[in-house]
Amino acid sequence: MRWFRFAVLILLATVLQASFFADLNIRPDLLLILLVFFAVYCNTSEAIITSFTIGFAADLIGRTMGPQMISFGLFGTALAYLHHVIAIRKMTYQFFAIFITALLAGSLVYFLNFIKGEPTPPNIYAALFGIALYSALVGPFLFLPSAWWMRIKINRSGRR
Amino acid sequence: MLFTWFTLAGFIFLFSPKNLTNKFQFAFHRIFSWPLSIGRNISLSAGTRRPLGDVVSRDEYKRLLNHLANVTQQRDAEHQNVEKLAKMRIIPGWEHMGFVFADVITVSIDELRSELILNRGEDDGLVKGQFVLADNSIIGTISDVDARTAKVRLFTDPKSSTVVRIGGSDWLMQGKGGSLARVEMIKSKVKIGTEIMASKRPGFLDTPVIIGKVARCERNAEPLLWDIVVEPVCNIQKAENVHVIVMNPPK
Repeated sequence: MRWFRFAVLILLATVLQASFFADLNIRPDLLLILLVFFAVYCNTSEAIITSFTIGFAADLIGRTMGPQMISFGLFGTALAYLHHVIAIRKMTYQFFAIFITALLAGSLVYFLNFIKGEPTPPNIYAALFGIALYSALVGPFLFLPSAWWMRIKINRSGRR
Repeated sequence: MLFTWFTLAGFIFLFSPKNLTNKFQFAFHRIFSWPLSIGRNISLSAGTRRPLGDVVSRDEYKRLLNHLANVTQQRDAEHQNVEKLAKMRIIPGWEHMGFVFADVITVSIDELRSELILNRGEDDGLVKGQFVLADNSIIGTISDVDARTAKVRLFTDPKSSTVVRIGGSDWLMQGKGGSLARVEMIKSKVKIGTEIMASKRPGFLDTPVIIGKVARCERNAEPLLWDIVVEPVCNIQKAENVHVIVMNPPK
């Protein structure tokens, strides 16, 4: 695992998410896409570290610290273990993995924010669904450039 | 074990006081202010159109309209003072106010939060509760501040409550997320487009200043009452700099 390249990639995604995509009402969650990428293509311990680190980066540009670190870490780890059972290599599977992870992680973030006393918007499900769908549509196409940057060989046709 | 330690760290962050965890967020925005500004400028440039020859841009028009609303309000307030024939010397409200110019580092407006990060902090005289102006209208208040950075909670943020003046009375306006705020249980219907002024607040605002305008007026669950939906009078998402109102600044 090339940790320096990982740090650069995460910083770039964080800055883009906080600046370039901030003006869009419905936007893809680049950090969530990267979460699924590293959960699928790294070994379990690396997946745990990358999941929590990506969650920490998401918290830096979020409303409060903590919720996304916990939810990204939890679902990133779960996805890494799931990948041992179901290969998430094909684009269709990646679409569903990103979509379901976005829905579950987003719901947990709102729940943890609620525990902390932060307000919950009235139409969170619409916002969650929009972000999950947009991320799932865009995500699989970002896996190739991410793999190129991280020097990870990916094989979409099945298990290695 | 790794998972347990990281989860514990996450919960420590979750339950730590916000003034401690804000330091991480402020540090990130301060360190990466340059790339964040570039990204934002690219995003804004992509949505900007060149204005036609002899007309002003929409943003300039809104700024001038807000200035007109504020000056009209001050004129009406001064007329009332003259009518009362106060024997003491009257000092216009703006004379006690100083303004700190600040650049906007990032803007975050969605259903859950409406916030700005500024490149000014306690070292520049900013404190919590100060009002923030953009295009001559109030957009929010300082919610968190450290030495060199400040967070502005916009009046449309779900956690925001602002006292506003409608029909000669003070009402509480609550942020609803996105770009809207709401005032509930008003006794009479308010015309769409009516200007909403933020009420005076001792120590923070000496004269009413425009904060929004009525976008919709809806029936409340109570039959004789109305709810109004307020929208900003400036394009906050495109704001590149703001002014923070500092009362009685040191000379």
